[in-house]
Amino acid sequence: MSELLPALLIVLPIVGATLPLGVGLLRENVGWSIAALVLSVEGGLAAWLATAVYGGEGAARIVHVLGGETFGRRGATENFVVGIELVADAFSGLMVLLVAGVALGVLAFARRGGPRGNAFYSGYLLLTGGLMGLFLTGDLFNLFVFLEIVGLTTYGLVASDRDAESAVAALKYLVIGTTGASLYLLGVGYLFLRTGALNMVDVSRSLAGEPEWIDGALYGDPLVLAAFGFIAVGLMTKAAIYPLHTWQPDAYAAAPDAVTVYISALVSTGGAYAFARVTWTVFTPEFFAVGQNARILELVIVLACLSVVLGSGLAAMQRRLKRLFAYSSVSQFGLIVIGVCVAVHPAGGTQATQLAVYGVVIHLLGHGLIKGGLFATVGALAHGTGARRVREYAGLAKRRPFLSGSIAVLGLAIVGVPPTIGFLGKWYLAVGALNTELWPVIFVVFASTLLTLLYVARLLETLYFDGPAEGAAPAAGPEPEGPGAPGGADDAVMTDGAGSLSYGMIALAVSAAVLTVLLGFAGSALTDATQPIAQAVIEAAPEVGADG
Amino acid sequence: MVEHVVDSWRPLAAVLISAVAIALIVASHRRPNVREAWSVLASVGKFAIVASMLPGVLDGTEYRWSLGMVPGLDSEFVFGVEFALRADALGMLFALLASFLWIFTAFYSAGYMRGLDEPNQTRFFASFAASLSAAIGIAFAENLVTIFVFYELLSVATYPLVAHDETDEARAAGRKYLAYTFFGGGFLVLAGTALVFVLTDTTTFGATAADLAEADPALARAAFGLLAAGFGVKAGLMPLHSWLPDAMVAPTPVSGLLHAVAVVKSGAFGVARVVLEVFEPDLVGELGVGLALAAVAAFTLTAASIIALRADRLKRRLAFSTVSQLSYIVLGLGLAGPAAVAGSGTKTVIIGGLLHIPAHAFMKLTLFFCAGFIHVETHTDYISEMDGIAKRMPLTMAAFAVAAAGMAGIPLVAGFVSKWFLLIGAVEANQAIFAVVLLLSGVLNIAYFWPIVYGAFFESHDDADSKPLIEFPLGGRASGGASAGEPEAVADGGAADDAHDDDAAATDEHQEGGHHDTADHEHAGHAVHSDDQHEDHDHHGGPPPGGWERAGWTGAEGSWLMLGPILVIVAGAVVLGVVPYQAVFLELIEVIAEGVVG
Repeated sequence: MSELLPALLIVLPIVGATLPLGVGLLRENVGWSIAALVLSVEGGLAAWLATAVYGGEGAARIVHVLGGETFGRRGATENFVVGIELVADAFSGLMVLLVAGVALGVLAFARRGGPRGNAFYSGYLLLTGGLMGLFLTGDLFNLFVFLEIVGLTTYGLVASDRDAESAVAALKYLVIGTTGASLYLLGVGYLFLRTGALNMVDVSRSLAGEPEWIDGALYGDPLVLAAFGFIAVGLMTKAAIYPLHTWQPDAYAAAPDAVTVYISALVSTGGAYAFARVTWTVFTPEFFAVGQNARILELVIVLACLSVVLGSGLAAMQRRLKRLFAYSSVSQFGLIVIGVCVAVHPAGGTQATQLAVYGVVIHLLGHGLIKGGLFATVGALAHGTGARRVREYAGLAKRRPFLSGSIAVLGLAIVGVPPTIGFLGKWYLAVGALNTELWPVIFVVFASTLLTLLYVARLLETLYFDGPAEGAAPAAGPEPEGPGAPGGADDAVMTDGAGSLSYGMIALAVSAAVLTVLLGFAGSALTDATQPIAQAVIEAAPEVGADG
Repeated sequence: MVEHVVDSWRPLAAVLISAVAIALIVASHRRPNVREAWSVLASVGKFAIVASMLPGVLDGTEYRWSLGMVPGLDSEFVFGVEFALRADALGMLFALLASFLWIFTAFYSAGYMRGLDEPNQTRFFASFAASLSAAIGIAFAENLVTIFVFYELLSVATYPLVAHDETDEARAAGRKYLAYTFFGGGFLVLAGTALVFVLTDTTTFGATAADLAEADPALARAAFGLLAAGFGVKAGLMPLHSWLPDAMVAPTPVSGLLHAVAVVKSGAFGVARVVLEVFEPDLVGELGVGLALAAVAAFTLTAASIIALRADRLKRRLAFSTVSQLSYIVLGLGLAGPAAVAGSGTKTVIIGGLLHIPAHAFMKLTLFFCAGFIHVETHTDYISEMDGIAKRMPLTMAAFAVAAAGMAGIPLVAGFVSKWFLLIGAVEANQAIFAVVLLLSGVLNIAYFWPIVYGAFFESHDDADSKPLIEFPLGGRASGGASAGEPEAVADGGAADDAHDDDAAATDEHQEGGHHDTADHEHAGHAVHSDDQHEDHDHHGGPPPGGWERAGWTGAEGSWLMLGPILVIVAGAVVLGVVPYQAVFLELIEVIAEGVVG
């Protein structure tokens, strides 16, 4: 039964996505309820999958072959899987939990925060389905398909405010995002040309020269090297690594608040996950140990380091909160990409690999949680007080103690103050990097604490120690919302400011902060869950965990 | 001595009791009396818990708590490192000191904050309790990662206290504080911890030295440098000290307990852990890093004393005095390395360094409390306005004089005992040059404290001698200045060479206080203490028009909420100086030193 789960997790939200539009023909405003229903079931399925993966000894590897056994039997003459494999292993299991959790959490925000309308919820469910597919697929081409599903729905959702700014942002995102996806596809095409396979495990084995018709390992092949280059650039675009990040601040700033929470927590995470998955599972450390292949890795590391430094610098210069935290993501994903590269860099031993893998996985989870929580808090504050700029935050702590507290906790977590999950991720990334003795990289990783502090400290000081600036108080007028937004604030819990703050928003913000701290003590559980991934990378094994 | 480790929740309870108090303090924000009662209860409870472990620790028992004792949790915090607290002798020293002094500070803060009618008192008391939690966590941390957790939390918890006033000055000080402490903690200590972990696969105190000795000496030195510098930031080691004088903008209880005891000593304590338990004196000596650390400390303690000579604002002078005195501790610890190589004096310098932790704490807390009391009662902040103030506040200034004498190392007060050990130890370790530095520092201590005491007791406001050190600009007057008639040479011309930032420091201070119209301060060189200055003051300091009124020796000078703690703590300083062996600290320190030296 659990073999069906990966497919169900993808199909359920995609089919569910038709419902808000379909039922919407009969009744208005059913979108939220349908989404809540679908995503609750989805959450249950995700939890079931997680127990199936992590419940047993070690981590199980659950494989579902679309089209059934007849179509994709392994061990037939060609020795390749023909059908598309969906794989839930130790890595994707954690990500599926994150997606399911965030999708449900954001609903609590969107209930009052909008955007409203059935069309939005269709897009929302489709995006969830796309992300599930992205994390669960075991096929390189299929990964492209899901990248595009995620991309296209995100472009739509970013523009759902229907104003000029968001339209431009969405267009920019569309152009850059599609270019990135195309580059990725080119890389996959090269790999397909050389190996004849698309399944990740098959490609990986072919690159290692396992099939008899391949004459030795293909690691030195220029075509394969070029493929890695294309794939890396494509996925770094999706993960918003400098200098391919320019879509992100615009998209985050222009999107409706609920959408920002969702995409900041998950969409770039998807890009970074794909990069890690392809680098670790398909290319494996063996690829980078051959000849000068590590140089291309170092090129990526240089960009990632730039991303860390410039992302933080740009964040410190922003006046608008959402742009500030968008640049913060640029910087944090720089750290994650550094970790992905460190894990496979030949300069590091097994310990570097193990710790860097821990760091990447934990920081992917942690960053998703923290950044989503930050955007939720920022959105809630905007709904409660109308403040969207740093200077408008002056003295808000006295009016909104809980939301300000959330910002403080989450902000410190992103700096890496213990005991939070933000610290755990940073610790592992740092210690992993230290094992490689690539000193400039190590310096950047440690210095990132101070760089992050630049913008977080400024924000906290404004929030807690600035008196409310006269004249800077935001106009109480409602923020632009979706066309379906009703003007009435009849059952709003707070009446000042924009007046659409809901308990759901506060609960989301506070629970993100609490979870961030609690997970700071779950270090050993997280590393236990991550250990099979690290083991697979160390052994250059294409399959994570026991074969299901 | 039989050492054994017992599982116990007490170390955690000692940390958490004030964390629980935070919630209660915030919850009772509308009822100040209840709120302050929570502070006092938490401080007494914390001390009781810490003290309950004291007899055991003196007998060689160690109380250990780890995350694994919580049902359902694994004790591993990050891979290969447990989250664990262990009350050992060294930890007890710091925990006992901080929790004991917090009791009196809790009373004193209530008096201080109410006396000045400060805003945001709830935030103040909550942050204060949080800081104490973190400080005890630092004391009991069993490994470098755990100590880092609390070290960072301490930085975070103290920030609201530094920026408490919400003025531009306070916020600038807060920014500076965060920048320095996060550079020290989140960058240097974290990097050092990670390096130690990579080199030895553990960070538990006492378990790393053997592996570090076999590691690449360059990397081991780097790890020592990172850790010592990282903890040195909070310990005020030059050149990373400058947050401390600025942080004096905080309310005085903060300057007293945190910036003379808990926070700064957490830095010194961290250095102690690093020297005594991460590297251990033998390795510190072999790597040659002990001497380097001692040299930095010696420079700091001299330079800071010289800068203190010229500080006119009392709290600022005390801050530089703190910077200087903290380096005594670091000097003692640094000398442990060369002493171990020389084969003699290790125990003595360690005892001297560590004993200076409580000794300085008692004396400096007294001094700060006096400064705060003077501020509350008379709004006087500047030494140049304190002539004759002993008439108005006799008990306070008497306590001040005793503590100041102790600072200078005069016998019968706590400072003498620790300094004595340091002097002997430095000679035993064949590092007599440091003994000379210590003696010189004693002279400088007298030079910057005596004018205050003398002025307070033996001068009156309108008949005071000039104070050349604080009144005259460095480098002499510009010719044609307002007071060209005065023939005196600049008394501290020599000092200018030794301490270049002195100039800036003194100038800043005047700007900060709104003390002067600063535009032509440096060049016109007008006399600082003259009466006509008082019109410019924002803070209406100095004596009332008729001179200081006389208050008796029976406590008429102000609230007993503040006077009481001052007297108790100065009595503590004297007890430490007269009967050091009966005042538990020295006994505890001998246990530590024996544990290290064997």
